[in-house]
Amino acid sequence: MYRTVVNRILLSGGGRRLLRQPDLRTVISSSRFSTTTETQTIPNRPLNPPDSSSLSSSSTSFQTPPAAGDVPRHERKNPRAEYEGEQARVLQASLRHVLRLGWSEKAMIAGAKEVGISPSIVGSFPRKEAALVEFFMDDCLQRLIDRIDSGEELQNSTPSQCIYKLVRIRLEMQAPYISKWPQALSIQAHPLNVSTSFKQRAMLVDEIWHAAGDETSDLDWYVKRTVLGGIYSTTEIYMLTDSSPEFRDTWLFWIIGERCF
Amino acid sequence: MALRLVTRNLRNRISPNLCSASLLHSHATSFGFKEVREEEKSQMVGKVFSNVASNYDLMNDFMSAGLHRLWKDRLVSELSPFPGMKHLDVAGGTGDVAFRILESVNSIRRRALQDPINDDLQEETWIHVCDINQNMLNVGKNRALERGLGEDKSLVWVQGDAEALSFEDNSMDGYTIAFGIRNVTHIEKVLTEAYRVLKRGGRFLCLELSHVEIPVFKELYDFYSFSVIPRLGEVVAGDRESYQYLVESIRRFPPQEKFASMITDTGFQKVKYENLVGGVVAIHSGLKI
Repeated sequence: MYRTVVNRILLSGGGRRLLRQPDLRTVISSSRFSTTTETQTIPNRPLNPPDSSSLSSSSTSFQTPPAAGDVPRHERKNPRAEYEGEQARVLQASLRHVLRLGWSEKAMIAGAKEVGISPSIVGSFPRKEAALVEFFMDDCLQRLIDRIDSGEELQNSTPSQCIYKLVRIRLEMQAPYISKWPQALSIQAHPLNVSTSFKQRAMLVDEIWHAAGDETSDLDWYVKRTVLGGIYSTTEIYMLTDSSPEFRDTWLFWIIGERCF
Repeated sequence: MALRLVTRNLRNRISPNLCSASLLHSHATSFGFKEVREEEKSQMVGKVFSNVASNYDLMNDFMSAGLHRLWKDRLVSELSPFPGMKHLDVAGGTGDVAFRILESVNSIRRRALQDPINDDLQEETWIHVCDINQNMLNVGKNRALERGLGEDKSLVWVQGDAEALSFEDNSMDGYTIAFGIRNVTHIEKVLTEAYRVLKRGGRFLCLELSHVEIPVFKELYDFYSFSVIPRLGEVVAGDRESYQYLVESIRRFPPQEKFASMITDTGFQKVKYENLVGGVVAIHSGLKI
């Protein structure tokens, strides 16, 4: 959220988003390890955009940032990238087991075994199942951004059509997991996880509006995102019980919902 | 605040080698507040534990007002054991941590059996309990029998030295050491051995009495340590000396951040620590990748 606001200020109207700018985190170094203690806190680097702490994607376009709640610092860059890369590999492999085992530790253990790493690594994820769900959400967001950047589908569309297309693309990414998606939603709604999932959804909604060409910078900015977030969530929930071919009813639901606003 | 952090980093960076070498040397030759020869330390510690073995658990309950059970519960939940795990608990003589891990694995297994989707639980869980002191291991074996775990083939009792383990490289999913690393002669050797036996993705967890920095609490804790505990040792276990050693050795052990940097230097990643009870106890963890 903040990043896109800053980018909009820095860029002169309609340039490429600088979401892939070199991350300021690596410039500032501090002590080498993290703590989760109540007494010891290593201050978060002030220039770190707060919403990036939720990202755990291994995609090279995002610098792999710390997992939520955890503030790792290593002076040598390579070892840090290594464990985060391995964690991402494990999570990626775990997604393949989700349909069978749900968004659970069992799926993560199966994923770790598949990748050839000891399942003990699952214990090092801060909130286990939530880490898997958040990884998936980030991964989907990244894929959405890639689709936006490739640009073909969004040319010559009105903002409304643009938003429809993007929401549809995004929800279709969840379609393969739809049988287990209620579990993912309940994990996201858990008090410990709600702040991260809220941030991820806020980023998603912001990206969609930005791709649709939104240039507002007053109170409307918040209103638009809140409304889109609301319609998106209700559509997502509708999709859970939609058994029409290719989720036709869900897209109809969306169009109706959008018209209401 | 930022300035303090910067100076602390500078200080850490300028003299880490000097600092750690002298600290390690001083740990190797310290027996509580007494100075001893390196070769003697291991023997002296051995005598302490042979003396306390039979009353070890009772004294733990007294000294920590039963809290040590919660600390060990927390350690095991941090570990997140899974069925089929190969685990090594070092200096785990009386078996507290090992029993908890075994019970956790068994409960996961029981729950999974109710679930129709049930694959690869055929893999055997092995929990090795390693201790240098045979008396402590004997107490552990008896406790296992009392808890009904005597027949469980997952528990393996091994006498061995934490600085020179008899296990193969890359053979363990997890390594725990609870209230043991304070007593070793060479901390860095223990850490290196831990790194060696762990598989890729394996975790190192250390539960240890640590340093308290909170102003008023620190004074209370010091008073409790130096005035109450040795007296308690004298009354309950008839052994003041051993408990005097105990409280002194806590003070000589490196503080949380220092120990964490030692773990990082060994090669572990994602090293972090969690203070319990304001720093009376700390759980350090690291990941081998």
